[in-house]
Amino acid sequence: MKRVDSILLKVFLCGIPVIAVLAGLSYLYGAGAVSHHAGFGRLMNNFMGLVFALWMVLSMYLCVRLVVSGPFRDQVIAKITFIRERDEREAILTGKAAKTAMLTSLALLILLFCLSCFHVSIYKVPPENAVNGKTGFITLGLGFDLLKNGEQDRPKERIQKQDIFSYRGLPVSGTTVILVLIVWQIVAYNYSMRRLMR
Amino acid sequence: MSKSLLQLKIVNRLHVLRAEQRITQEQLAKEVGVTRATIIAIEGGGYNPSLELAFRIARYFKTDIHTIFSVEEEVQ
Repeated sequence: MKRVDSILLKVFLCGIPVIAVLAGLSYLYGAGAVSHHAGFGRLMNNFMGLVFALWMVLSMYLCVRLVVSGPFRDQVIAKITFIRERDEREAILTGKAAKTAMLTSLALLILLFCLSCFHVSIYKVPPENAVNGKTGFITLGLGFDLLKNGEQDRPKERIQKQDIFSYRGLPVSGTTVILVLIVWQIVAYNYSMRRLMR
Repeated sequence: MSKSLLQLKIVNRLHVLRAEQRITQEQLAKEVGVTRATIIAIEGGGYNPSLELAFRIARYFKTDIHTIFSVEEEVQ
């Protein structure tokens, strides 16, 4: 299994340049541009599509293996995060740095959760809708949607209002948040490891 | 933890023994299976070795563990 995983990992890594070229071509010429061509262009397009499909399946398989297989995780993640455990002292320092990275990531997750839940809105209403003569309002809210389309179910507001400031959750996509968390984990681990090694 | 609990400070004579036997940190590290950084940390008091490593160092110098490592009691 270890040998198979090692080969599949190499195939996955070799596929990255092909995927990069594919992404570059579709960005430059549009996703379906090549598929309308006949002959070699079409053949290449079909081949690239097959490579991409295989690469996607492979990436999913490797991600699952990373979660379930300890030795494979140690082999791959240790290289990505530059973990070095050459002796007992470095093993202790690795543990301490991992703890720091885990706790700071948890703190970041809590912050992101709060930022995605909190709603703040500052607005003005027309004088005829004033409450106690006041036309400026601040509304605070807590939005917790389990599903993505929760936003669409909200009733439309009847009062015409002029928004001064409006914050309704994080303005970034889920993919960006996940990417930030991955980078954060690696940076936090490396930073604390370097500090401990001094 | 109790306030009156003693904080033990472990001191070592590793650099003295090393100097007496003219052994470099690199050589010692290689012999006991650790990195040079760990030897530097032990000598500087920044890291207390495990019992296993302490015994390995003692065995390397052909001496007793108490000859290298001793305890200074400190009240916290």
